[in-house]
Amino acid sequence: MKRGIGLALVAAVCGLLVTACGGPKERQLNMFIWSAYIPDDVIEEFTKRTGIKVNYDTYDSNEVILEKLMSGVADYDIVCPSDYMVAILAKENLLLKLDHARLPNLANNNPQFLNKKFDPANAMSVPYFWGTTGIGYNKEKFPGGVTSWAAIFDEANKGRILMLDDMRECFGAALKFLGQSLNETDPAVIGQAAELLKKQKDLVLTYNSGDFANILAAGDVDLAHGYNGQIAEVVKEHEGKLGYVMPKEGGTVWMDSLCIPAASRNVDAAYAFLNFVMEPEINARIVNAMHYASANEPAKAFIDPSILNDPAVYPDAETIARCEFIEDIGEAVTVMDKYWTEIKAQ
Amino acid sequence: MANGFDIEKAPEFVGPREPAPRGAAPFKWERVALAGHSWLVYAFLYAPILVLIIYSFNVGRHTSSWDGFTFDWYAKLMGNELLLRSVKNSLIVAGLTTVFSTIIGTAAALALGRSEFLGKGVTQAALFLPIVIPEIVLGAAMVSLFGAIGLRLSIWTVVVAHVAFSISYVAIVVRARLSGFDRSLEEASMDLGAGPVETFFRVTLPLILPGIVAGALLVFTISIDDYVITSFVAGVGATTLPLQIYSMIKVGVTPEVNAVSTLLLVFTVVMIVCSQRLQQQPGESGGKKK
Repeated sequence: MKRGIGLALVAAVCGLLVTACGGPKERQLNMFIWSAYIPDDVIEEFTKRTGIKVNYDTYDSNEVILEKLMSGVADYDIVCPSDYMVAILAKENLLLKLDHARLPNLANNNPQFLNKKFDPANAMSVPYFWGTTGIGYNKEKFPGGVTSWAAIFDEANKGRILMLDDMRECFGAALKFLGQSLNETDPAVIGQAAELLKKQKDLVLTYNSGDFANILAAGDVDLAHGYNGQIAEVVKEHEGKLGYVMPKEGGTVWMDSLCIPAASRNVDAAYAFLNFVMEPEINARIVNAMHYASANEPAKAFIDPSILNDPAVYPDAETIARCEFIEDIGEAVTVMDKYWTEIKAQ
Repeated sequence: MANGFDIEKAPEFVGPREPAPRGAAPFKWERVALAGHSWLVYAFLYAPILVLIIYSFNVGRHTSSWDGFTFDWYAKLMGNELLLRSVKNSLIVAGLTTVFSTIIGTAAALALGRSEFLGKGVTQAALFLPIVIPEIVLGAAMVSLFGAIGLRLSIWTVVVAHVAFSISYVAIVVRARLSGFDRSLEEASMDLGAGPVETFFRVTLPLILPGIVAGALLVFTISIDDYVITSFVAGVGATTLPLQIYSMIKVGVTPEVNAVSTLLLVFTVVMIVCSQRLQQQPGESGGKKK
């Protein structure tokens, strides 16, 4: 019996080795993207059309992209960094300079979302999704709605507030409430925002950047600072019970873009993919599945009207005008970091 | 009569109500306290796992409320290719890591426990390093090394990294097992005509097998569980289960994760039972049937 087990073990090891080796090399595309950010059927459609096999890995933070690309030995052909990370990656020369002649569908994008400060003239990135960070709230507790950041700093809501576990987002909310820019570099102003956040800490039930929508939906908090896409999903799931608002003082607008790493070995496949996702019908399918807004104008004809008319997902121009992108604040980030550590530690 | 205790004069034994003489079994309340404490510890360890398993059958998405019994999440799990692929990757990595690090670690333990060689002290110290160094330092160091030598990141770099830190665990566990080892058994075996190799496989190995199995199980668990180092060195298609679950946190973890954890738990329990069976047959190797 022991001999049998021994033989079985040897066979298992051989089996493992063979499985891990994989099949013969074919045209491939290695994609590194956020979890649940692209529907499987769109990927299958791409493979069906072009015969390129797509390998798909996920990550949970922008910094993982930076680390993988800096190692110089990661084989990714498409990455999806957030706005500030595009600037960082560009500075480190880790991204391929895009040849716009090979991206005819780039013109489908709303000019409002092109040529942003983190990537002038879209030298390295194409827009994928964009959204805002505002407040998700319980309609039953706030029948008149929520209109201002004041609600999350209000003593009356003690223990019923959730904030994102993100330094720039929390400081952004505080700075906007104080009427300042969220890219403020003056240490005195940052200090004022820090004071506000320190006083707020007692009112906050939890700091959570992942599960905020579910926590709001479960009723553990009445006010949740969070990204619009996930909150819009739970708003839809719980008809009439929840709402999302971009406060009147304004807030963060963010964008996730698709880029090609400079070290990519499947550049043709990558360009083909970028063009593919910017096609109106394909883009609409992605938006319909993921509930985030894209910058693609012709796609609007194919997007589900309930998503298109949802102000949480597609806010009007006036609302967007009140919002700012998070940008590099240079040295001031160390000041902010010090305050953030104090706030989290108290 | 040693301590003046005369059995003729002793009262009849009526059970544990008498205060027991020194050195006898503890009071009943001591036993109750010990049992109670043990149960509390088990509850603390297993209650979260029990909740995890129960809520894998919950109709609702959150653990805030029980909405009814369903197998839906298991069905959904079967369709979740990414999650399943990550389980496959985790098992492949853990399997290969266990095999290689057990072999190397056992060899290291045997060498360190028995022979004197140049650099023994350094090797011994070096063996402890992976356990003591913070994972994030190890991870960053490995990815720097791979970058410097141009080794592309893939599932193989994950295996290499895992084997690197697992060898130490096996070596230490087997070394502990070796310390109680009676070398005269080996000498007897060689006296009887067995060569060193045969002695090793038929005398030494069976005797240190419990230690090797313990080391292997430890390494398997550590490998499946590893997040920090794996996140640094994983390449294309090498996403393991912890990496996949962490990446799902951004968009909300569904009970599919509960389902996959339950299945993994069942698999682990089965493995442990098998390994117990493997060890409960002493002296059977090549033995004569009665």
